Amino acid sequence: MSGPAVAARADGLLLAYGHHVAVGASSFVIPSRCVTAVIGPNGSGKSSVLHALAGLIEPAEGALQVLGTTPQGTRSKVSYVLQSLTVPVGTPLTVAEAVGMGRYPRLGLWRRRNDEDRRCVQEAMDRLDITGLAHRHLTELSGGQRQRVYVAQGIAQSHEILLLDEPLTGLDLVSARTIDRLIHSERHRGCSVVLTTHDLSEARAADHVLLMNGRVLASGPPEEVLTEANLEVAYGLGALHGIVGTFLDDPAHPTERGPIG
Amino acid sequence: MDWWIEPFALGFQQRALLGGIIAGVTASVVGTWLVLRGMSFFGDAFVHGVVPGIAAAVVLDFPPFLGAAVAALVMVLGIVLIHRQTALKEDTAIGLLFIGMLGLGVVIISRSTSYTGSLTTILFGDALGVTREVLVGQATLAAVVVSVGIMLYRPMLALSFDASKARALGMRPGLTHAVLLALIAAAVIGSYQSVGTLLAFGLLVGPPATAALVARTVPAMMGMSVAIAVVSVVVGLALSYRLGTAGSATMAVVPIVLFFLTLALTRTVGWWRRSAVRAGVEEPPG
Repeated sequence: MSGPAVAARADGLLLAYGHHVAVGASSFVIPSRCVTAVIGPNGSGKSSVLHALAGLIEPAEGALQVLGTTPQGTRSKVSYVLQSLTVPVGTPLTVAEAVGMGRYPRLGLWRRRNDEDRRCVQEAMDRLDITGLAHRHLTELSGGQRQRVYVAQGIAQSHEILLLDEPLTGLDLVSARTIDRLIHSERHRGCSVVLTTHDLSEARAADHVLLMNGRVLASGPPEEVLTEANLEVAYGLGALHGIVGTFLDDPAHPTERGPIG
Repeated sequence: MDWWIEPFALGFQQRALLGGIIAGVTASVVGTWLVLRGMSFFGDAFVHGVVPGIAAAVVLDFPPFLGAAVAALVMVLGIVLIHRQTALKEDTAIGLLFIGMLGLGVVIISRSTSYTGSLTTILFGDALGVTREVLVGQATLAAVVVSVGIMLYRPMLALSFDASKARALGMRPGLTHAVLLALIAAAVIGSYQSVGTLLAFGLLVGPPATAALVARTVPAMMGMSVAIAVVSVVVGLALSYRLGTAGSATMAVVPIVLFFLTLALTRTVGWWRRSAVRAGVEEPPG
């Protein structure tokens, strides 16, 4: 899994939905074969950055390169696990089939699954510890088990970059630990992992951090980015009491998980 | 056995059966995706939306297929226009086009000399008056619809799962959605002459919804839906013959009755299993 030292590079990147600017002009680098955490308040543009890296939205201004080319051009090498997918009630989909969908970029419309496809799906289920659930319906699973299925679907896709939108939010301990272990093992396999989070300790455990609030305010190693001064700018003065705990308070968009301590 | 054979002894009865079965198979393949994507209201509006095209064809004497296709296109474009140009949700756009197109259809058909008969034929079809030519046209369109529906299994499943995820997987959800709309249109247009637009909708929703109560995979849902549709057509036509009721309308009622029977059965089995588990838990060891 060799590739450029930089997984993605943005120069003056501006992302917008119609007239609404989601991410103001930002320049940053996502290093290759590292875990990059994107942290910031709700609505700060974290998911938009992941959408852009996955090629789901195009830059309104500026340039974005992923693996040395456009995000659209490298989509098959980028696997994206979206935030809080809601499986439509009544969809008759088993865990094995949901994970198998991760192979669709390789399979295209008609190619039959071969041994390599089956091996990738089995390995993904093994790594997320959901093999025993293979024939269960998605709607029969707990939230944590379902999140493990979605992550398994992501890694079943042969990828060089793994994008995870709040992969650990609201999970039970077993699921959170399983996914956290997987994130770091992906890096050891030479994959670049980019995840969004509200958890300061999760961001501090990453190799690289993007701090956001409407644009990328700072990027670099966690110890340089997650300073009290930077967090004050990102979250506002009222949020500072949250820094002593794990989760950062979000004054603009309070979440269900408040500050600890 | 005569009870089942006699209603299908004559040629026109066999053509009615064949037309109904082709409609059922076509509708099951398309209807599975319609139900999974929660587009039943769109399907309902669609079968009424083609009425003005068919009505214009009846009054002006041109091929009904063409009229229905044009009306379907107008309907879809109208919905897309309202959805994109206003802040209104899609169901409002569908509702507006639904009543507008149906009203227009009735206005047009009211110019016909046989107003009531023409409208009834459009809505409920003329199952017992199906000709060989109609069957050939229906079978051709059905072959196309079923083939495309099966070929696009992966994009359709990904789109039913999540549109953004489908895009991330390179499955082109926008194009897939457009193809699904075209397949719904083709299923309705191909079937309305033999079973009417309302039964076409009944077969689009009834059998797939019933199958969804018990199927564990999408292919199983499709297969069960086909079986339920065929049973509905056979039972509906036999009942219609025995009771002297309208063929298409009787066929339309059967899948809905089957849905509630299946619902009652699955709920009863579920309740019985839970009771058995509780009894096992509460039973003292001994």
